[in-house]
Amino acid sequence: MAHRLRAIWPPILIAVIFLGSWQLLVFVQNIQPYLLPAPSLIFTNFFSDVSLMWAAAFYTGTTAFLGLMFGTLFGLVLALFAQRLAIVNNLVTPLAAGLAAVPIIALTPILNNMFNITSRTPRVLVTMIIVFFPVFVNVTRGLIQVIPVQLELMRSMNAKPSTVLRLLRIPNAIPFFFTALKIAAPLSVIAALVSEYFGGPQEGLGSRIASAAANTAYGRAWAYVVASIITGLLFYLVVLAVERWAAPWTGQSRSA
Amino acid sequence: MSDTSVNVTGIWKIFNEGLPNEVTALQDIDLTVETGEFISLIGPSGCGKSTLLRVIADLTGPTRGQATVAGMPAAQARKDQRYGIAFQQAALFDWRSVRRNVELPLELQGWSKDRRRTRAMELLEMVQLADFAEHRPWELSGGMQQRVAIARSLAVDPPLLLMDEPFGALDEMTRERMQNELLRIREETGKSIIFVTHSIPEAVYLSDRVVVMSPRPGRITDIISVNLGSRTEDTREAEGFFNAVTAVREALRGRGPGSSEARSRIGEI
Repeated sequence: MAHRLRAIWPPILIAVIFLGSWQLLVFVQNIQPYLLPAPSLIFTNFFSDVSLMWAAAFYTGTTAFLGLMFGTLFGLVLALFAQRLAIVNNLVTPLAAGLAAVPIIALTPILNNMFNITSRTPRVLVTMIIVFFPVFVNVTRGLIQVIPVQLELMRSMNAKPSTVLRLLRIPNAIPFFFTALKIAAPLSVIAALVSEYFGGPQEGLGSRIASAAANTAYGRAWAYVVASIITGLLFYLVVLAVERWAAPWTGQSRSA
Repeated sequence: MSDTSVNVTGIWKIFNEGLPNEVTALQDIDLTVETGEFISLIGPSGCGKSTLLRVIADLTGPTRGQATVAGMPAAQARKDQRYGIAFQQAALFDWRSVRRNVELPLELQGWSKDRRRTRAMELLEMVQLADFAEHRPWELSGGMQQRVAIARSLAVDPPLLLMDEPFGALDEMTRERMQNELLRIREETGKSIIFVTHSIPEAVYLSDRVVVMSPRPGRITDIISVNLGSRTEDTREAEGFFNAVTAVREALRGRGPGSSEARSRIGEI
């Protein structure tokens, strides 16, 4: 427990110092809220409208969660197909680099036209596409990059390809999968949030930030930003917890 | 059961045959290993000793020639699990407990859970790791991991054990302990063993015969019989041991008896 505390207090201390100096700076320099609101103003707004914050976070969080689920599923299925094709082996890395450059979020207006703009669908789709790539690329890599000697071992035991997949490739890919999820989970919240900037239902964090800013309610806009950060962090922490539980060998020195 | 554990006749292994970067990894190899015999393959890097082991294991096919294990073609022997194999890397699965790593070959053979467990515990008992059965591989030292790998290679009780520098990554003290352990296991199980190594004392201490190989092209230049009786720690300091070490060293330098061809190539080594 003492060990845990030692690990926790430095980031807390830094957060306190950071917020303290921010508050001091705004106060001393008399900075206007439209430039930079003081932390005290942001938190006052946050707590006075906490139920609104929660509702908006729930809306955007649901979009993010749906996109994360479908995108992950899609990525996993395609990765399973891809590892069977030898050519993918050499394609995965350049593919990853190339796809990272596609401005997927800019597809939202197009998807809004293709699907019903008043529904959640276009946003879920955008989130899904964004989640798909890191999951697909990382999991494919995990399925392919098996230590050669482990493959030889499986061959020496006359294992069928499907057995190699089940007993070696899939477990080998699990740490890669969680690496992808740790990137994808907070990203899904950002994608869901930004996709709200292109019209459609106004209940989410993105819409709320935009409308608060448009109404010069900067404290409230920033309060929604805080709610967004908390949502993204929550997604990340859930993934982290699942990883600890499901793949405790991750990050250990390889014994292979 | 035949008296011959492994029979290799006229094996060639040529990589990139017909291309400018052609490499003859194995040139016309003949080798017979009797049942219960301990054979070491020794030679400098690139002499094809690991390739020869992999041909016997049917992990790679020969370009020409054939290998039989327990009287059947190598491919069939692999399918029937007539050998166990251990590599320089323990190649344990991090996501499995030590016990379940040992169970792996049994699982592939379709053994029931209870039988698997009993057999794995028996083997862990033999390599003196029963207390670590439920540990994860990464919690074990290198020597312990290698003992798990050896237990795994013995799981289906194959008559032949193939070992590719299994102690290569261990420190000298651990290494000598592991050698004694291996000889004890061999005593208990009566396995035939083919053991690839870089270390002359290791080859001499463990083997009934040391097969000396040389590179470019990879071939057998000498086979040295070692008659030291049953090994104890004193064996390592016995005169016969040093003589055998010297004989192997000379053979590796191409000055051994019966290696006239090698003798003319001293300058190359």
